[in-house]
Amino acid sequence: MAGTIVADTLTHSTAGSIATNYVVDGSAKAWVNFNGTGTIAARDSLNLSSLTDNTTGDYTASWSSALANASYSALYGAGVVAVISAQERLHTIAAGSYRIEMNEDNSAATDSSYVMLGIHGDLA
Amino acid sequence: MSTILVDNLTGKTSAGSITVTSEGGAATQSLQQGLAKVWGAFEQSGTQTFYDSFNMASITDLGTGLSQLTMSSIMSNANYASVGCSGEQSGGGNRVMGVRGSAGLTTSSIVFANYALSTGSISDDTRLSASLLGDLA
Repeated sequence: MAGTIVADTLTHSTAGSIATNYVVDGSAKAWVNFNGTGTIAARDSLNLSSLTDNTTGDYTASWSSALANASYSALYGAGVVAVISAQERLHTIAAGSYRIEMNEDNSAATDSSYVMLGIHGDLA
Repeated sequence: MSTILVDNLTGKTSAGSITVTSEGGAATQSLQQGLAKVWGAFEQSGTQTFYDSFNMASITDLGTGLSQLTMSSIMSNANYASVGCSGEQSGGGNRVMGVRGSAGLTTSSIVFANYALSTGSISDDTRLSASLLGDLA
């Protein structure tokens, strides 16, 4: 049986101390790297239950363990294919999912071969 | 208040997996999986340099708007998520940065391309930030 340590602070011999709430609060609660072209698929992820292809450049990532609320932070990794830039933006945020849209410079919706998300906030 | 004096944290059942309880208490999650493995804030215009970084070995100027960041400890595969933002520290228009195609993303380095949205052209900027989430080797 694995043990459990209850502690408020971790102290390294040379690198300093950190309160354990920074470890818990500061860790990403979900992240994903997925291919948004064709049949979309995650290359790797944390806490991802499914990906939904809503329409061109429009995806929903659903979380296995929901966040405590819809006030969490989402960081993007905009996809860039060759030298054509694309940007991600929020469509809908919920405790259990995050829907994003990908657009080219001219605002046309576009699928991207690299779509990445990092989620920081409180798990339920 | 309790304090643990420790240099290394290693899982007992599985060395690479330590579980932490969620803020709300309803879920648990892997500590290692949620930690950023690499991050950096860097200057792209002029001589490219890091303002600050973690697990970064070097930065290479590959041309206008292009930066190759090389890691000290490499990732276990190239499937990690890279998130970040770009912009000029003082004014300037909207910017967008991203990985430069599949060739720009490897286990040991990543190439970012930065664009000015107003013109769609590749552009150097004074302040870019990136964080990598995934598995270390």
